[in-house]
Amino acid sequence: MAHHVSCNDCSLSPICLPLAVAPAQLDELDRIIHRGRPLKRGEHLFRAADDFQAVYAVRSGSLKTYVLSDEGDEQVTGFYLPGEVLGMDGISTAHHVSNAKALETATVCEIPFSKLEMLSQKIPSLQHHFFSLMSNEIRSDRELHMLLSKKNADDRVASLLLSMSARHQRRGLSERAFRLPMSRYDIANYLGLAVETVSRIFTRFQNNQWLRVEGRDVEILDRGSLCGERQNLEASL
Amino acid sequence: MTTWNQSLIARYGGPGPRYTSYPPATHFHEEVTEDDFRQAIATGNAARRPLSLYVHIPFCDTVCYYCACNRVVTANKTRANAYLSLLKKEIAQRAALVDQRRPVTQLHWGGGTPTFLSDAQMTELVYALARHFNLREDDRGDYAIEIDPRTVDQARLGLLRGLGFNRISLGVQDLDPRVQQAVNRVQPYELIRQTMAWSRDFGFKSINTDLIYGLPWQSESSLARTLEQLIELRPERISLYNYAHLPTRFKVQRQIPEMALPSPEEKLAMFTRAGRMLQSAGYVFIGMDHFALQSDEMAVAQRNGLLHRNFQGYTLHGDADLLGFGVSAISQIGNLYSQNLKSLAQWSDAMSEEASPIEQGYLLDRDDQMRRDLIMRLLCDLHVDMDLFSKQWQINFPDYFIDALAEWVEFENQGLVRVDQQTLVITDQGRLVSRALVMPFDRYTAAASRDRFSRII
Repeated sequence: MAHHVSCNDCSLSPICLPLAVAPAQLDELDRIIHRGRPLKRGEHLFRAADDFQAVYAVRSGSLKTYVLSDEGDEQVTGFYLPGEVLGMDGISTAHHVSNAKALETATVCEIPFSKLEMLSQKIPSLQHHFFSLMSNEIRSDRELHMLLSKKNADDRVASLLLSMSARHQRRGLSERAFRLPMSRYDIANYLGLAVETVSRIFTRFQNNQWLRVEGRDVEILDRGSLCGERQNLEASL
Repeated sequence: MTTWNQSLIARYGGPGPRYTSYPPATHFHEEVTEDDFRQAIATGNAARRPLSLYVHIPFCDTVCYYCACNRVVTANKTRANAYLSLLKKEIAQRAALVDQRRPVTQLHWGGGTPTFLSDAQMTELVYALARHFNLREDDRGDYAIEIDPRTVDQARLGLLRGLGFNRISLGVQDLDPRVQQAVNRVQPYELIRQTMAWSRDFGFKSINTDLIYGLPWQSESSLARTLEQLIELRPERISLYNYAHLPTRFKVQRQIPEMALPSPEEKLAMFTRAGRMLQSAGYVFIGMDHFALQSDEMAVAQRNGLLHRNFQGYTLHGDADLLGFGVSAISQIGNLYSQNLKSLAQWSDAMSEEASPIEQGYLLDRDDQMRRDLIMRLLCDLHVDMDLFSKQWQINFPDYFIDALAEWVEFENQGLVRVDQQTLVITDQGRLVSRALVMPFDRYTAAASRDRFSRII
């Protein structure tokens, strides 16, 4: 394989699957993982109805998942950053239900699911970690549902920004200043808003001095106000 | 409309079976074997009956002093890991006997406290069930979980919804802080309100709340205040259970200050007042201890003759075979009841050795099955056509049940039942004490109940 990387020297190991594995057993995990060629921007990792064979951990770059409506419209269902695992949508049905596409050049580690299951029998902490990843995925999926059904446009945008901030912090990066990997179009689609609405809200947040925005670069200036938006709403539920 | 007649409840509301099974579980015996279980499953496979799965999670973080459930109080979360891996064994062992095409129309997690499990453990358990059984993906099954409001937040409720649960049952018990302290279950009103609001946001379609009357420091007016607060939150279903103080049988109940317990007269007044309040707030008295909003599926099912009763109380899925998993869990499969070992240590040993977990049970003969059918129909539909019943079971109803019908004459004189031509009817008034009215049809309790009634009437 072209990329001689291993979990041992991957900077993401503290947040990715290896976190659940004792150093002595890390080689066993490493042995089942495939590391293929990078995906180019716009290239698919898997498509809906593909057989479910593996789950994928993002090593670099980012991906989005989406489903197509009966009319053929795209609905974005998630964004995946380095250290995050995607493809679990196929576990219960044996085939993927969504599509995964690279938002920029991205590399992923492919973890064949049958081998992961076998290894999990030997390493209970790995299994436990895998199920906690799954629960995170299910939880955020439901919270998105609720976000879309309950919250106003400002709160939706604020929630996404705070989520991106928390995920950057988890990787040991700045929670304050980061680059959004996705377009305004994808943000709008994900949040169920018009693109103009998203742009208008970014502008308003900037005018309020809550954010500084330059293209895809974002700097959070007033986290309290961004969070406050959400708390007010939760209190009014 | 039911008239909440206190003296009637006083006369007929005495002890008796709750008929979540017939015969009652007190008649289970140890001659029931693994072979009986396998045979019953095979019969269900041939009929392709749907399945109802019950999973028992015995652990609790803290102890509630009124509790009479099979449960283990521990702060040690790792115990759940060992239990979960044994549960997965039982699930796989039982699933191997079951036709995979049989749909799971009902799923229920009870306890103990199912939410004692971590997020990852709950996900793992659903995954194990989904892997071995045909769970519905269309959200049209009744998939319920019992929730201790102190153990969930918004994110956990989101997870449970995402895992496929669409109903929750909240242990509220009482909202009065003094009562809550006396039973060691402090959970402010605000917590209950918030939990219900989040559940609704996530699209749980029916919320049940459990209340208990007869707890220490409760009075007619304090229970009325609890009900006022709860009614405002409009749970679709409310169960109002009677607290039975049996400190010699359930040690933990010794923590309850006996001097603070309401008298039998006060308890009667509480139940009557509660019934009146719930009725005027739009709740239908389903029977026993259950109330449901007029629009709730349970009330609708009762009106349409589709309600059933089993170990999960009143249910919409009486045609399903009930498979119970975990310590002390009960299965009801065709003409068999079987209960798993009631001691956690013994059940765990059995599962680690891949031995049978069955402790006791009951195999119903034809007479038992017929009486079960009759009692459950009366409790659920409140009427039974004797002609149809005779044809179905190939008996002559008036001859077969001649003694019971004699007792029904007394009930009829008091307006509790009607025997119209060919139909047995429990009246709105009789519904208040329906279990006393079906006891004459119970071969095991009939004699005892006759004694009691000859005393009362």
